[in-house]
Amino acid sequence: MKNEIKKGFMANLPISVSVFTYGAVLGIICTSKGISFLQLALMNIFIFAGSAQFLIVDMLSNPINISIIIWSALLINLRYFLIGASLNEFFRNTSLKKKAFIMHFVTDESWAITMSKKDENLSVYFLLGGGLCIFIVWFLGTLSGYYFGEFISNPKLFGLDFAFLALFTAIITSMYKTKNDLVIYLFTAFIAVIFEKIIPNMSYIIISALSGSFLYVYLNKRSCNE
Amino acid sequence: MSSYDILTIIFFVAIGTYTLRVSGLLLSNKLKKFKNIDIFLESIPATLLIALIVPSIIKIGIIGIFAGFTTIYIMYKTKSVLLSMSSAVFIVALYRNGLLF
Repeated sequence: MKNEIKKGFMANLPISVSVFTYGAVLGIICTSKGISFLQLALMNIFIFAGSAQFLIVDMLSNPINISIIIWSALLINLRYFLIGASLNEFFRNTSLKKKAFIMHFVTDESWAITMSKKDENLSVYFLLGGGLCIFIVWFLGTLSGYYFGEFISNPKLFGLDFAFLALFTAIITSMYKTKNDLVIYLFTAFIAVIFEKIIPNMSYIIISALSGSFLYVYLNKRSCNE
Repeated sequence: MSSYDILTIIFFVAIGTYTLRVSGLLLSNKLKKFKNIDIFLESIPATLLIALIVPSIIKIGIIGIFAGFTTIYIMYKTKSVLLSMSSAVFIVALYRNGLLF
């Protein structure tokens, strides 16, 4: 168990530089919005979802519309439902208690890295190790940004904002298997680009992913029938 | 905007996010009665990641697209996530510091 946690932790270390930077940026924004460190820490611990945290902090203004902020944040996090559903096989034979605990630490990064290695017969502790790595680094990043933000120079100059995108691109490449996949990838990308322009919130992510997955089912069923 | 407002938001988003995280996993067994759900779920990682990143890469501009293709090429050739990721970050950093093109 310890070994698997450590393995998951180490596998997520390369991306943690970027996670730290994003956390630092959030910390800096929080100071300008008058959010206390305790409130930021509560967000880190109990929400633990970077994009939703950015959105909440960004939408805090006077007068405040609480319900719109809550629904917008949950809309962004709707993808966690799909992420959870995709982990079903991985959590087979795991107790409900462990499921309830480990799922809180699932992030885009730790999930993507785990899914890219699913053929390696890893356990749920690998996923937990990855989640803990991101959790700790994210917390330290926000802490640094909050208290030492003025000392951090522009992270974009170092291309660190691209690290997430590059990591996910590499992971998608590793998932590529057949020519059908290429059709699905291009179709999903096209739908995402179009819907991102049309839909004013981040639900385009869910709609595009579902569209791509439906096409995947259709194409796979057709090739099975042939 | 009071401290109470912020705590209310944190409370409800935290409950909602946790429910989404756990319900996806717990309900996936119930979803199994639907035909082809296994094939559908198998495709979710790739389609979700594509939907998440492609619009952001395009927003970065030509250098984002170039770095994206570089990532794919290096990953395809070397199978190293770390190498492909760091190469792309390096290219973007060079460009933003006026050392590329």
